[in-house]
Amino acid sequence: MKRNGLRALGLATCAVVLVSLIGLTADLASIVSSELIEEISKAAGLALVDEYVLKTVEELEELVATGRTPGIQLAADRALFILNARELELLDMEADALLALAEAGDQDAANMWVMKKRGDFQRPELVEEYLLTVEDDTLAIAAGTLLGGFYVPNSPIGAKTEAELVELAKDGENLGLRVAAATALTAIWIGDQTLTIDQTRAEILGVTLAYPELALAYQGYLAYLFSL
Amino acid sequence: MKKVLFLVGLLALFGGVVLGQGYSTQPADARVMPVGEAGTPYADFELGVQGGTLNRSAIEGPKSWNAHNAKETSTTQFTYLMYGGLLTNDPVGGGIAVQFAKSYEVSEDGFEITFHLREGIMWSDGTPITADDVLFSYDDLTLNEDVDTNQRDSLELPDGTYPISEKIDDYTVKFTISTVYRPILEALGFSIMPKHKLAEFVHKLNPDVPVGTFNETYTLDTPVEDLVSMGPFMVESYQADISVTMVRNPYYYGYDANGVQLPYYDRLITHIVTNEDVQMLKFRNGEVDVYGNRPEDLAILLGEAPTKGFQVMISDDTNYSNNWFVVNQDIGLADEVDNEKRELYRNPKYREALSHLADTDTMIDVIMNGLGKKIWSPVYPISPFYAGRDSYGGEVTEADSFWYEYDPALAISMLDELGVVDQDGDGWRDLPSGAPLTIEFNTNDNTTRTKFCLILTEDFRAAGLNVNFQVVDFNTLVTRLLSSTGDMILLGLAGGGNDAHAPNVYRTCASLFAWRYSSCEEPTELDVRIDELIAAGVSTLDNDEAFEIYKEYQVLVAQRLGYQYLITSTFLYCYYDHVGNGALSNPYATIAGWRLAEFAFDNRL
Repeated sequence: MKRNGLRALGLATCAVVLVSLIGLTADLASIVSSELIEEISKAAGLALVDEYVLKTVEELEELVATGRTPGIQLAADRALFILNARELELLDMEADALLALAEAGDQDAANMWVMKKRGDFQRPELVEEYLLTVEDDTLAIAAGTLLGGFYVPNSPIGAKTEAELVELAKDGENLGLRVAAATALTAIWIGDQTLTIDQTRAEILGVTLAYPELALAYQGYLAYLFSL
Repeated sequence: MKKVLFLVGLLALFGGVVLGQGYSTQPADARVMPVGEAGTPYADFELGVQGGTLNRSAIEGPKSWNAHNAKETSTTQFTYLMYGGLLTNDPVGGGIAVQFAKSYEVSEDGFEITFHLREGIMWSDGTPITADDVLFSYDDLTLNEDVDTNQRDSLELPDGTYPISEKIDDYTVKFTISTVYRPILEALGFSIMPKHKLAEFVHKLNPDVPVGTFNETYTLDTPVEDLVSMGPFMVESYQADISVTMVRNPYYYGYDANGVQLPYYDRLITHIVTNEDVQMLKFRNGEVDVYGNRPEDLAILLGEAPTKGFQVMISDDTNYSNNWFVVNQDIGLADEVDNEKRELYRNPKYREALSHLADTDTMIDVIMNGLGKKIWSPVYPISPFYAGRDSYGGEVTEADSFWYEYDPALAISMLDELGVVDQDGDGWRDLPSGAPLTIEFNTNDNTTRTKFCLILTEDFRAAGLNVNFQVVDFNTLVTRLLSSTGDMILLGLAGGGNDAHAPNVYRTCASLFAWRYSSCEEPTELDVRIDELIAAGVSTLDNDEAFEIYKEYQVLVAQRLGYQYLITSTFLYCYYDHVGNGALSNPYATIAGWRLAEFAFDNRL
């Protein structure tokens, strides 16, 4: 399986821990422009998409290419996705075309391919089997996200406990399983809302290097907290 | 009142309307809903505030705005919001409740029902609604043979007569029946339509217009200014294949306990989209507020719900709807063609063979994530009259159920016995004469139904039947079904409530007796017996006795193999957290649909 990029932060992250903690009370715009922890920056970016859609397409394209932080790039990318009505464009595409784009690294195409194929993934074991064979990270992430819906506690089939999900997010045997666990964990934490913003940021700092998908789960939860 | 069944599309609209001024004060006879009051069916409802827009979606637009002609949910999803009846059902699946009638009395012998109408209530154009509108809707529309309506079916009494109406005064009407008819109150829920707008189009009242003119009124070409409502909403604008926008009817007579006029939402926009994937995307993107999701959507929605702020309801109950396929036993009859095919289709052994090729367990497991139940009866399993129960309203034991089990080997031997074998060696079974047998199989653009069809088609073809499956749009499908021009169709019915008799479907001359309309002229012995049982079932006031009668009725309807039943689905529904009272959606009524839409509100206001 190709690398997913989530572990790519490397040692550079360690050096910014202190910087990150200092910025706990900063506003979103400040966070997204200065935060160096990828998950925290992206969480802020996701919460800023509604503001970024007010920018021009040209501005957004520039930010996607040269934005200073992952959060700025992500916010601009998601805003462009909306402004360009990319979802409808993808919806009109045949599955094979979507698959080709996904294999070339287009995560949105992968997500749409999985949505269109969800009838073939009607049970969690079918998705789990698929994840054993899939070679592209985009498709693994998309299928894993769908699988996460089966893992949430109120799912009629496939539900897992929070402890099981934490374990799976850390040590799942493939990227898709870890993403699935992360998706379900985010859903659980949003339901429970027991962690504050500061606590969540601290949790991210604790796991970002060792367990990037667990950090991804916290990123989703933090984005939700930022958007409140 | 939801007394009749409708063909189900998916449960799912311009010009301008000059809003009336509405009432200056709450009318004395307003229908005050006990929202939030303990001990009432509305105890769990929250009081709302006026304002905002509720967005929903549908994959089919309306065929007309004519409540009496409508036989399909793509139309009734709008007409139900525009017109009401004397009575209705509580929106949580409860019993009879007053609607435009403020009260009613039933005489001691049960043969006279007197309705007291709400005074001072207006149509949306400000014209008073009176007994004349009620009697126009009953005598001149519902009972008028020139009017193409399936609301008449519910009103035929066991002795073949209809209730006789009488105007006592402008706000009192009486109906007299000649024999006991247990569902009479439900049956009297026919849609009330505006006499002052429509009488001139009824040949009976205006001989200058041709017979049937009413059936061409309130069409999609009618200017929305001419569409007059009495329900919570009225049409503001309509864009074919794009959207229907409805606005609050300023003269609606429903109020909450705080004196706030219903509906709470100012607008209800129905976005007409091309397919269910678009429906789902619009919901996920927050463009629509509610969505009746399918089992296959669950994983995606459950994963996103907390992040995006919506709820996914998974009920323990099944829906008031079903799925079936139907073989057109009148195929070619009108043109005197396909005679041998028609003869085969009319042979119950042939249809039974097809039922043995229906792998419903796989459909439920693979297509529905287990969120469904296979069915055999015309009566929904949720009904107290369901014959799979041990008594009226009792436990579901399925002891007396009548199943056609999935058994391809049996089906193949039955086809062989019928002489439907491959005679020319092309791999496909032929008609007994040797003529090729090709079967067109249709459903509408609904992914779940399409998958049902694909599974069926695979088994039909594996058994040697040359079945060709094709998707057509819903309204075309309905037209084929109701005009006996289809070959084999998969579709479903919704509504009908808890009673078992569904007079607009299963009685021999019913408007949805779509598998063999010619039976009305030439009923089989089985048809006659089923008609007798329907008449007997409605002629007793004793539910236990009716249960026993309906038990035989259900088995015989299953053996008649008209609609060949497959599956009913578990009730699933999604709504954004900002839709107040969203949690009250239930298998009987959804928050964006009939009877609950007036209670939904934007809780961010």
